[in-house]
Amino acid sequence: MEENLRDWIKPGQAIRKQKTDRAVRTLFFLAALISGSCIVLITFFILMKGIQPFLPNYAYGTVSLKDFLFGTLWRQDQGVYGVGFIVINTLISAFGALLLAFPISVLTALFIVKIAPKPIKPFMKTVVELLASIPSVVYGVFAAGVITTLVKTLAAYSGISTAGGSSLLAVILLLAIMIFPTITSLSITAIEAVDRDLELGSLALGATATQTHFKVVLTSAKSGIFAGAILGIGRAFGEATAVAMVAGNKLFGPTFNLFDITRTLTSTMLAGLKETTGLDYDIRFSVGLVLMAVILISNLVLNLIKKKVGNMN
Amino acid sequence: METCFEVKDLNLYYGENQALKHLNLTIGRNRVMALIGPSGCGKSTFLRCLNRMNDLIENCRITGEIHLLEQNIYDQKMNVVQLRTKVGMVFQKPNPFPMSIYDNIAYGPRCQGVKEKKLLNQIVERSLKSAALYEEVKDRLHDSAMALSGGQQQRLCIARAIAMEPEVILMDEPTSALDPIATAKIEELIEQLKKTYTIVIVTHSMQQASRVSDDTAFFLLGEIVETDKTLTIFSKPKDKRTEDYISGRFG
Repeated sequence: MEENLRDWIKPGQAIRKQKTDRAVRTLFFLAALISGSCIVLITFFILMKGIQPFLPNYAYGTVSLKDFLFGTLWRQDQGVYGVGFIVINTLISAFGALLLAFPISVLTALFIVKIAPKPIKPFMKTVVELLASIPSVVYGVFAAGVITTLVKTLAAYSGISTAGGSSLLAVILLLAIMIFPTITSLSITAIEAVDRDLELGSLALGATATQTHFKVVLTSAKSGIFAGAILGIGRAFGEATAVAMVAGNKLFGPTFNLFDITRTLTSTMLAGLKETTGLDYDIRFSVGLVLMAVILISNLVLNLIKKKVGNMN
Repeated sequence: METCFEVKDLNLYYGENQALKHLNLTIGRNRVMALIGPSGCGKSTFLRCLNRMNDLIENCRITGEIHLLEQNIYDQKMNVVQLRTKVGMVFQKPNPFPMSIYDNIAYGPRCQGVKEKKLLNQIVERSLKSAALYEEVKDRLHDSAMALSGGQQQRLCIARAIAMEPEVILMDEPTSALDPIATAKIEELIEQLKKTYTIVIVTHSMQQASRVSDDTAFFLLGEIVETDKTLTIFSKPKDKRTEDYISGRFG
């Protein structure tokens, strides 16, 4: 006997399907709720711990919030905790790294997508992805072993002595290398997404390939490339392990000299975390709060700029 | 009649596959030539030979000659970038750049090194007027071109091509993505533009071909079956296949 599709479609089945739909929707909602509440919980916990040193009845002696935020000295042995110069150091190292990595990343992405011969393309992409997946502690030993030597030699040429190569420059170079794959990957995605018709339109107007790449392709991919920069600088701000290995942890500041040692918020939080208690332990949560604020504000500013220069879509 | 393009025994291969076969065609200067034929007959491919856009496709091989005003554009000495400043192109889907209206028009001249603000202003205004778009956008030249309607975007693309003061404008189904009103505006515009430019237009619409063109070439399976004055093609086609196609019996 011939079968008809209509025999398969029964009213009871439709109701069952709708029930499944509702169940799946609840499942999705729960997943979102769990990940969302993690962020809220962590922020809440850090906040509760972080504000304690500034409260009047703090067990180890209240710290002045003003001295903490604007201080230019960090002496845990003397109980002086000023984070102001560290914020500046962190901004300098992160934006320095971005300044260095951004043009190289964008040009690399442009090369990989538009210029590299076909057989090389997947190879280069894999290399970039591999770079992104190297653990930060590995970058750290590389920096401690190689970058510091490089900086030391460079400094010696100019007659400057360094703390074994640990320096602001080493931090910037390390961070630049670390954020390069992030910015490059996102730029590749953004450039690949540019409508081929736009390129053809440009070429048909008598623009050369180079003009087309810079004036049309990059302009069209601007928004995605900028997103890469924002992710990259997020990584630069947040990197602790590798940075701590070459920063040198200066006690006062801020550091503007490239060959001088420096101290970032992350390296400060990390240094000797396991061997300390009391105020010296609690204050690291306060530094964490400051770091979160710095990242938040930087992201807001960068997003504002992104909107300004972003695509005219 | 002055000749704009003279095509001599043009063959085009995608790898092993021959897409255009022994094409010979003369395109008159300041006239509108319509290329018609069913999908996949090679009319768009042929159009892209005229500004050498097929050079960008891998495995694409071309033999034969195309002369643009006595100069073989497939000659070794031909500079492709310069050729494309003389042969403008309008695509099927409007493709304005994600920039302001002004910057879209100024793009071509700027690529040629024009920086002088006054000259650019003139070019932008003149091109937009020629493309019958100026009145609609004159107060928002620095707004994004992406905010324009589809029909306006396509006229912007025409203006962008005109800005280069080309000899020829190639149009690859320029109205297939537009509604009838926007289509009518573009067709009106073509009528105006042919006074100054030679136009080669690929179209799927028989009515459009008969409305806008002076000459028509009928393509089938990579060959030109018949070419003549549009009026003749549509009233007294010589070839049975042409007659079948234009009367809607296939394609």
